Amino acid sequence: MNEIERYLAKAANKDTVRVGEDITIRVDTVAAHDVTAPMAIHQFADIETDKVFDPNKVMLVLDHVFPAPTVQARKNHCQMAAFAKQYGVRYFGKGEGVIHQLLAEKGNLARGSVLVAADSHTCTAGAYGVLAFGVGSTEAAAAMATGTLDIEVPPVQLIQLDGVLQPGVYAKDIVLYLVGKFGTDGFTDQGIIFAGSWVKNATLAEKMTISNMTIEMGAMLSYFSELDDVGPVALTHRFDVSTFVPVAACPHSPGNVKPLSEVAGTPITQVVVGSCTNGRLSDMRDVAAVFAKARVHPEVTCVVVPASAEVADAMDKEGLTKIIRDAGATVTNPGCGPCYGGHMGLVSSTDTVASTTNRNFSGRMGATDAKVYLVSPRAAAEAAVAGTLVVPGTIMPLEGE
Amino acid sequence: MDKKLIFHGRVWYFGEDVIDTDQILPGYAMTCEREQLKDYALAGSKIPDFAKKVQPGDIIVAGKNFGAGSSREQAPVALQSSGVGAVVAVSFARIFRRNAINIGLPVLYADLIGLVKSGDEITVDFNTGEITLPDGRTVAGQQPGESVRSILAAGGLIPKVRQQLQRKGGEAK
Ligand code: SF4
Repeated sequence: MNEIERYLAKAANKDTVRVGEDITIRVDTVAAHDVTAPMAIHQFADIETDKVFDPNKVMLVLDHVFPAPTVQARKNHCQMAAFAKQYGVRYFGKGEGVIHQLLAEKGNLARGSVLVAADSHTCTAGAYGVLAFGVGSTEAAAAMATGTLDIEVPPVQLIQLDGVLQPGVYAKDIVLYLVGKFGTDGFTDQGIIFAGSWVKNATLAEKMTISNMTIEMGAMLSYFSELDDVGPVALTHRFDVSTFVPVAACPHSPGNVKPLSEVAGTPITQVVVGSCTNGRLSDMRDVAAVFAKARVHPEVTCVVVPASAEVADAMDKEGLTKIIRDAGATVTNPGCGPCYGGHMGLVSSTDTVASTTNRNFSGRMGATDAKVYLVSPRAAAEAAVAGTLVVPGTIMPLEGE
Repeated sequence: MDKKLIFHGRVWYFGEDVIDTDQILPGYAMTCEREQLKDYALAGSKIPDFAKKVQPGDIIVAGKNFGAGSSREQAPVALQSSGVGAVVAVSFARIFRRNAINIGLPVLYADLIGLVKSGDEITVDFNTGEITLPDGRTVAGQQPGESVRSILAAGGLIPKVRQQLQRKGGEAK
């Protein structure tokens, strides 16, 4: 068995599992947010049970639209607060941050444990070795009641990343390259194990950026290994990341990936930095390094959203918030921000956006004709200054060069 | 053979385009009340007035990666409550497929691209995965697994879990 199968077998209380087998696994944490939880609560009521499987292992988070921009959103928040009170589950209702960042900071999830969350980017937790299943509201409701999840054991492929990144190339460029190469359904219903010398030396933030976007290739599970031998897999793909270049996912698909040098010069009207992909402290440092010496272009709106209150605190302590604000960007409260077009920075049909988020489907951030380019935080910050897409290093020299 | 798992209906043909969740249910419609979701079914697709024209039992036929993107369960709920009886596609995004089955909306892997057009009447048998075309020809789709059929037969995951827990509770007493 490979590493994913070993942990699945453990969670299923079996000696072995084989690809395609239907298994029931025990779940360590179930989570949902203010877009998916209301429907999960509705479904939970239909199960007609009087308790959740373990209140300490259920987490509800207000992140997508907090504070509420509409009356309906507020109604949803109130409903979640009432549910949390009634069942005694963990409740993050003060804008503590994006669900996936909070799970990393406060989820206490050990390697090999099982996470079920009603959000497609639940795969982010694969960065720290958690078997993380993104589900819908009904499956989350069922898991809250039973503490189990029914799955089919997926075939697993290995992505081996070796080498060292060139200056100006980031984890975001690696994952965008992979989405471009394998396509948005490249790993549908399959698991991916990441390993290799680059992975060994990568920071948790870098691994989270990559794991986060594995759903953009359709993956069922993403798992970052710490072992040299992950066990038998269906297929192995090897990449030398030192040959990678800065890239952008162009409108309107995360799979429409081109070298940034090919699209450099495209005028930009809004820049968004943040999200569960790239809203962490290291991302904010990359952005502040640019904004410490250059201002946001007069015709660009730049919105910076810390992924969590912890990130926002650290930004304050390091003086990053002030640097970013002084450069002419807006630093908002932690959460999802405009990532999925909920609030705080929607765009119109004439806008072209450089964003560090993970999806650029038509209409994702507002108007269906708005164009969104997905890039690294450094590339986003330089675009904010230049007013066009540029290759990192154009506005100011990169460190290490 | 479970008769409940045989569906006969009129085709809505979407061709080869990837239909992502933003087309099935645009983000702006996500926070509306459950009862209103049906009015926005496929509002972001190339048939924006789908919700007005769909009739109970109609069958969607599509290409690859149907339901790609978000985990929003509002998407299959909107389809189901608008009247859609089943979805047949070359392939599905995993979370969408699970969501659909969990709410009792049958989805089947089969390649009907170029074989049907909107308005055709077809029969889809989820027991076997077989589809019967208007001219009587049959096409083999992928037979759904045991667990999928048991969820569909129970009418969705929630009724299935309710029965499970009640059985357990009964045993405990
Ligand atoms: S930051 Fe964006 S992708 Fe991440 S959970 Fe929020 S809306 Fe979804």
